[in-house]
Amino acid sequence: MAYDRKQGGHQVAQANRPDYRLEVGRAEVPVGGSRGFSILDPGRAATLKAWVATLIPAAGSRPDAAEVGAAEYVDATVLEVPALRPSLLHAIDRIEGIAAAKAGRPFTSCTDVERERLLKEFEAQDATDAFDMVRDFTYEAYYGSSRVLAALETDTGWSSTSPTKGSPMAPFDAARLERVRSLPPRWRKVGGSTGKA
Amino acid sequence: MTAEPEADVLVIGSGAAGAALSMRLSERGARVVCLEQGDWVDRARLPKAHVDWEVRGRRFWAANPNVRRWPADYPVGSEGENPVDVYMYNCVGGSTVGFAGNYWRLAPSDFRVRTLDGVGADWPLTYEDLAPYYTINESVVGVAGLAGDPCGPERDPLPLPPAPLGRHGELLRDAYEKLGWYWWPTEQAIATAAHGGRAACDHRGWCTFGCPQASLGTADVTYWPRALKSGVELRTNSRVREIVTGPDGRATGALYYDRDGGIREASAPVVVVACGGLGTPRLLMLSSSPRHPDGLANSSGLVGKNLMTHVQSFAVGLFDEAVEGWHGTWGGTVSTRQFYETDLSRGYTRGFIMSGNRGWSPLNLALQVAPWGAGHHAALEHRLNHEFVMYLCGEDLPEESNRVELDWEHQDGFGLPGIRTHYTLGDNSKLLGNDMIARAHEVLNAAGAASVRDFGLSPIWGWHLLGTARMGDDPRSSVVDGSHQAHDVPRLFVVDGSSLPTSGGVNPTSTIQALALRCADQIWERRRDWT
Repeated sequence: MAYDRKQGGHQVAQANRPDYRLEVGRAEVPVGGSRGFSILDPGRAATLKAWVATLIPAAGSRPDAAEVGAAEYVDATVLEVPALRPSLLHAIDRIEGIAAAKAGRPFTSCTDVERERLLKEFEAQDATDAFDMVRDFTYEAYYGSSRVLAALETDTGWSSTSPTKGSPMAPFDAARLERVRSLPPRWRKVGGSTGKA
Repeated sequence: MTAEPEADVLVIGSGAAGAALSMRLSERGARVVCLEQGDWVDRARLPKAHVDWEVRGRRFWAANPNVRRWPADYPVGSEGENPVDVYMYNCVGGSTVGFAGNYWRLAPSDFRVRTLDGVGADWPLTYEDLAPYYTINESVVGVAGLAGDPCGPERDPLPLPPAPLGRHGELLRDAYEKLGWYWWPTEQAIATAAHGGRAACDHRGWCTFGCPQASLGTADVTYWPRALKSGVELRTNSRVREIVTGPDGRATGALYYDRDGGIREASAPVVVVACGGLGTPRLLMLSSSPRHPDGLANSSGLVGKNLMTHVQSFAVGLFDEAVEGWHGTWGGTVSTRQFYETDLSRGYTRGFIMSGNRGWSPLNLALQVAPWGAGHHAALEHRLNHEFVMYLCGEDLPEESNRVELDWEHQDGFGLPGIRTHYTLGDNSKLLGNDMIARAHEVLNAAGAASVRDFGLSPIWGWHLLGTARMGDDPRSSVVDGSHQAHDVPRLFVVDGSSLPTSGGVNPTSTIQALALRCADQIWERRRDWT
């Protein structure tokens, strides 16, 4: 979409290119609400919760992504799109493999600093797009959360309610056009009607 | 095959043009049947009716049909050096359901591009020919704005007042004043006061994610209620497979699949194709026959050629102060046509507009700029509510190598081929686009921005899909004539974005609907010829 482009890194969604960004289009998963895990077993679910909490940690009045159900949202989305399940499962297992090799303990037992370092390592070697997929879905769950939006309003002044409820604004002040109105016409005259029907 | 009752006019496509033309003809007394491959949008599912609207906008409401994949959507491929990220909707109201409502008139010079600037093509009509229809359209849609802009000819007053500026608009206005440039409140298809039974806009913003209270003038809430009231028969979930011609070569109707996939035929003495810049050439090419082996109405070879998208970008200014970027109509601050007319001293021909938008919303901003991990919140806080956006749109000249063609390797749900676009920015477009972005930086710096970022020129934003069945006087260099009738096929009309011989440098929906109203009148005035 036009509004989420990373400068220099945007790819057009193509009908002929397998891509989670395409596959997810039909997966309507409302953000929020209580839901458990459908695809992931408890062990992998715990790893994913630690993963999403590392992607967006808590700060000020804002919770971490796991607290607002981002892992469950990822699971629910992948439930709707079976083609994405293998890459998610493989990615979770791969992260635990890296944690065992580099930290000597489960990812869920690592410190925040260790988790970030391990995820960067996984991100660098991920050839399946699974990291980007979980990151994007985590951002969706986080910034679709009414709890997060309310906290953002507190911290930044960005209104959490105006986009869906509206807000008053001062009317346009036409008096400020005085200078422009005094300028000469700035368009080319090219003649009248063709007279053709 | 099921016989259908006859109409005077069969319209294919219910979007911006099909809606306007259907209403106009019906209100004048014609019996109109309109075939729409999609369905009505369920307004309860509009993203902006929900707190998680940004998420819904990326899935159910995704503007790219390859992502959204509604039942009526067909696959779209994107090839070329600058692939087009196609944005369109197949439903009642067409792509207007996802537009922002920027609602410009073209300038008189836009109709004489070849004569004035030696590039592109002249239109077979003038601004003055179209002006009365712009006025009618602005009344039906309920357009907000202000007459008197010195960057355009005198015109009738607009029916609704301009949208409020907000702090971001004030910053932009003051920048233009500081630079001594022309500026004017942006015209928008948004009911800034109650209009035609629609509620006044209450400034929720991000209009492209749907307007639950119907203040945004999408064709499903402007033209269609009146069209249905006057008797238009709208058949949804009716996917046209081919246009039918009679032994004498005239268009006589269309074969289409109904919602159950059964083939049906609708017949009428006049057939109007209004399927948009991709859908119209797709249908004409699908309607090939021994008599028309290269597609219907294609003796010129130009069906599907000359795809124009506009040269577009965003520039974003970062400000120390909070800019209240969270409210106001998305495109509704102020705009400039300072650089709209050709000035060869700039190193290219034709021109562009710059239009003020609002601030980015949290999810889209986070996806753009906020890295994951410990630095996430600081990166977002640095920009959220401290940025506002400028939309930049410039003229894209017609080039035959920019084109669409059928894609039989990817088919829709009924076995009809998808479409493949091929697009490469021309040299003039690159020069124009780079200057356009540089000028936007200049404005935002004048507004006091601490820094400015932009989105570059590629991939191409495919909001405006134009020129693929263009109008003109010469059958060798155009597909339809000045009344929108196909040069090759009597009683076959094409009116939509594909009709535009040149793109102008502004959002096209206002012009497309004015053309449709004019086309309706020309069909009506010659009605005795059809019966």
